[in-house]
Amino acid sequence: MDQKPLSLLHIHVKLLGFSLHSITPWPNNPSIFYLNGKRISRVEILGVVTSRDYKPNKFLRFTLDDGTHSITCILWLNHLTSPFFASRQPATLRVISDLAKCFADDIHFGKVARVRGRVSSYRGDLQVTVSDVVIEKDPDAETLHRLDCISLGRRCYFG
Amino acid sequence: MASNAIKSGALVTLPELQPSSEFFKEGASLRLTGKLQEYSVESAIAVIADQGATLKIDTQHLRELSFRIGSIFQFIGELNIQPNNEPILQARTGRNVDGIDLDLYYQSLQQLRQFQAKHMKIATT
Repeated sequence: MDQKPLSLLHIHVKLLGFSLHSITPWPNNPSIFYLNGKRISRVEILGVVTSRDYKPNKFLRFTLDDGTHSITCILWLNHLTSPFFASRQPATLRVISDLAKCFADDIHFGKVARVRGRVSSYRGDLQVTVSDVVIEKDPDAETLHRLDCISLGRRCYFG
Repeated sequence: MASNAIKSGALVTLPELQPSSEFFKEGASLRLTGKLQEYSVESAIAVIADQGATLKIDTQHLRELSFRIGSIFQFIGELNIQPNNEPILQARTGRNVDGIDLDLYYQSLQQLRQFQAKHMKIATT
């Protein structure tokens, strides 16, 4: 019996920066991208924070450098004021907003951050809209992430 | 997709940073790792060493970092080649990576280069 190929669409795909920058937009939906013919929308990336542009109650834009490419990340901080989120429950919004502020406080220049989020395109450049941040203290975290990405790339994404 | 404005620091080991290397050029963005051998508070110049090779690091922008001789540091920055052909890395970021498994780190760089080479080849065919 033929086995249906595993869909990567709703998985946080572990990617290195250079692989992330090789993806191409899917013409019918701006939130879906092609990675070697496979549809993806979410990624997990890890790198050193090399820039930080903070606009209180609006957003934190920062860059992660994993040694293969720089990746722009956007962390929205306007959940309580933007009409974009108006349809969400106020209690849920408060939790999301508080969490986003905690993430913003953790992200400092030179720290190593693991970020999960949705891929999007902004003014022709790729960016990751952040949903989760972990600051890594293990000095081997980047090495292990790099090896994970290579292994997954060989077996799943490009195999 | 368009490329990002902030340059990524290519992962290079100190012994690889020879004048004949593709990385040995003015303004090259690099990430280098080594044991802190010397540090001058006055000049903010650090010297890191790895496998017999050394490199000067200008840390003037990293005043919050605590430098301890013998600790392992990783820096990202741009290479500045002096008139006497001596390279100095103008560091943008730096961090203490004491406890890092350097053997695994070097192996991961080899794996990464093989993976990138194959991936780039697929992308261009």
